Parts: sequence; structure tokens; C-alpha cells
Amino acid sequence: MASKQQDQTMQVAAEWWTKLREPNADDDVVEQWLAWTAEDERHLQAFEQVSALAEQLGSLDQVSRHWLVRHFAKPVRPQRRWLPLAAAASIAAVMLSAALYIGWTQHAPKVAAQVYQSGIAQNRNFSLPDGTKVALGADSTLSVKYDSQERAIDVRSGEAYFEVVHDSRRPFVVTIGNVTVRDIGTAFDVRRTGERVMVAVTQGRVAIADRRSSANSRNTLEATAGQRVSYDPDASGMAVDSVTPAQATAWRSNRLEFIDEPLSVVIANLNRYTGTPVHVADANLNGMIYTGTVHTDAIDSWLDALPEVFPLQVNKQPGRVVLSDAKHAAR
Amino acid sequence: MSAVTLSVHVSDVERLFREQNRALVAFLQCRLNSWSDAQEVAQEAYLRMLTMDNREEVDSLRSYLFKVAGNLAIDRLRKRKVRSEFAVVQSQDEPVDEHSPAHHAVAVEQVLGVRRALSELPAKTAQAFVMHVIEGREFSHVAQTMKLSERMVRYHVANALAHCRARVDETEVP
Repeated sequence: MASKQQDQTMQVAAEWWTKLREPNADDDVVEQWLAWTAEDERHLQAFEQVSALAEQLGSLDQVSRHWLVRHFAKPVRPQRRWLPLAAAASIAAVMLSAALYIGWTQHAPKVAAQVYQSGIAQNRNFSLPDGTKVALGADSTLSVKYDSQERAIDVRSGEAYFEVVHDSRRPFVVTIGNVTVRDIGTAFDVRRTGERVMVAVTQGRVAIADRRSSANSRNTLEATAGQRVSYDPDASGMAVDSVTPAQATAWRSNRLEFIDEPLSVVIANLNRYTGTPVHVADANLNGMIYTGTVHTDAIDSWLDALPEVFPLQVNKQPGRVVLSDAKHAAR
Repeated sequence: MSAVTLSVHVSDVERLFREQNRALVAFLQCRLNSWSDAQEVAQEAYLRMLTMDNREEVDSLRSYLFKVAGNLAIDRLRKRKVRSEFAVVQSQDEPVDEHSPAHHAVAVEQVLGVRRALSELPAKTAQAFVMHVIEGREFSHVAQTMKLSERMVRYHVANALAHCRARVDETEVP
């Protein structure tokens, strides 16, 4: 249907689109683009069409977006045989392979891991044998295994903040989900929500690696104070943005700060702080993006305000709170 | 500012609006990936033109308009990242519109077309496109991840965008 000439115009329009996208594009680029649009009215029309498509595709629903990312933008993983068989594999299986991995790489005599755990709505502070300070968020578990070569921490669930005493002969390595964080003289916060991991550096530097591709060390990056690194198994690679130390450790003062995070992650973390768990009944709510603060001593009033910002209904039942799609609730 | 220079100025801005508004909004939509934001920023840019006090120093009003608008767009992109402590904000600007059934139906149609279109392209072309347009990663991030120059990333994204546009148009007009 489309003629060759139309295709050609569309191609040129798309090339202009990628050139104009750069916020720091030269003034000349804009002038040249204007000259091109003045040549033929179909030029601007084609440009508007590619812009409109890009806008629509940039604001897709979470499900479509994940599908496209999974199929077209997943990094190649050479170590596929190490991975559990299917996406349905449980966290337990991942944990098991992690344990085996540590077991085989360490030749030191067996050292029993010390496990630290906190209850719901309970933050804990303690020091490790080397003087490293740990703040453990509510409903969180970590294990500590020190030997002569390495100080290995495994954050199995929840959130923890570390102020590390640096020791170059005995690196401090935190494993959290599919990610390892190696200290280079540092304080940092880590949080695990299912398979999603967030690392916020408040001081110094850390090296962060995706363990699934550790063989060729391609997915390693260094983060410095003020940076936040997010790992999402459904996205391509890790995302870096910024965070203040106050935001990263706000949970230590009973405030949970969220920056551009899906509702599912917000609720899972909030549930670590409430005896009345919140349950999301309609899966389409999970992907809605939230930025803001939840005071852990005022979770109820936060829930009351939620329908003002999301199209959902809050239903308080004995022993739990259910969030459901406002459309369904009309039944 | 005297009344005379101001009235001349208003007619200048009116002419700019008549002649350039469509291109200006297209330019801003490209930068902001949002047509409604583009409309707002364009309005703001005209307001800035009306209140400018260095008229004599400006050679081309059109260039100046696009420069002002470009800077406003940068501010707007920055503001999207800023969050207030108490405000509860959604990252999408028009959540209601986006979740309406009509919008959803259009999106599903398009996703189907785009899936097919992308699978017809070389893997790298599709990957660069999905990372930039769907995931919203900057060209520099895509370049780093894919070990390509930014120029190559732009080339891949442009090819995919043109291809998808053509395919989606085919499905919309059978």
C-alpha cells in the first residue's frame, strides 16, 4: 500500500526524530530540521506520525512493556546452564545454587554462617566482628560468613544498611538475589523484593555485579555515593539513578521512601512494617508506578489516601487489607 | 518598555504562532514524548517571547523561540525526576487516560503490530529500539549496554521506528 517514496520520507523522518531527541542537540540541527519540514508539508506530517508512535510505545502498559523487553532487549546470558530451568523456578532454587557456588569457591575450612533476623515492624542495629555496623530493616534476614579470605554477607530478604570497615585483604561482599555488591570503602543500603534488588550508596564506592553473567564480567558497574542501582530481572541490565543518603536510609527513621517504583514493590516493603498485611487482588495494579513516602507509623492513613492517586479501592478486612481495581469494585 | 514596541512584539509572536506552532509542538513532542506536555511547554515559550526584554539582541525570532522551548523542555524533563516528600505522584502524566478501555484497546492492537514488525528486523535493531523507545533508556545508556557508538544506536532506532510506523499503518488501514 505504502509507496516507496512514502517509506523513504518515513525513514528520513525517523532519522530526524533520533537527532532531535538529544536535549543538547546543536541549534544548527534544529534549523536544518526546520528547513527540511519547510520543503514539503508531508515531511512534518511524517515526523508527527513517528513521534506519535514513539509516544504511544513509550507509555505502554506494564505487561506489554515487559513482554517486548523480554523478547527483544534481554542481554545474552552465556551461563544459561547455571540458571534454574524455567522462570517458574522458586527463589529457593536460586538460593541453593548461590550456596553451592560459595561452597565451591571457598577452600577455607567450614565456617558456620551466622543468621540475623528481624521481626515485622522491627528494625535492628548490630555490629559484626570486624566492627562493620549493620542496620537491618523489618522482616529481613541475612547471613554472615567470615573467613580468612572474605567477609560474605547474604541478604536473603528485606533491607539492610552497612557501614563497612574496609579491609583490602578480606573483601566485604554482599550477595543479594542475583546481584553481588563488593565494598571499596563504603556505606550502602541494599533491599531485596522478590527478585528485584536495589542498592543505594551513601558513602564511598561499591562494585555491583549481575551474578548471572559473572563469567565475562560484562555486567559489572561501579556506583559512588549518591547513586542508586536497581536490578529487575525483567529489564535489560541494571539502571542507575540518584538518591540522597537521607532518602536511602529514611527507613531507619520510620519512613519508607520510594522513587519510581511499582506498586507491587511498595506494598511488599510496606508489609514488612505492618501486622495487617496488604494484599493486591488485581494484578494490573502491581505495575503502577509510585513515588513518595510512607510513614511506617501511619500506614493506615496512607492506605486511605491511595484511591486519590490510583484507580483502586481499599477494602479493610479483619487481619488484612485488600486493594482491588476500582472498575471491578463497582460490581 | 513602551506601548508601541510591545504591540509590534505581540504581532510578531502571533505570526510566529501561526507559522511555527505545528513544528514547535512536533519538536517538543519529540523531546518530551508527550503531546500534551508539548502543548503546555509551547504555550509557556510564547509567553516567554512576549515578556522578553532583549528583543534587539535577537536576530531570528524563530531560532529564539525554539531555543527557549528547548530549554523549557529540558527543565520539564528534569522536573519529572524531582519528587516532593509528601506528594504522591504517578510517573505517567495522564494515568486516567492511559487506563481507559479505549486507550488500552488501541495499545493492544499496536503492540501486536509492533511485535510482528520488530521480529522482522535484525536483533540489534530491535534491541536498541525497545531499550530507547519502550524502556525509555537514554542513547548513551543503550550504547554502553550494547557496546555500540551512540551514532549506531540512533541509526538502529531510526530504522526500527520507520519500519514499525509503516507496519502499524498497514494494520490500521487494511
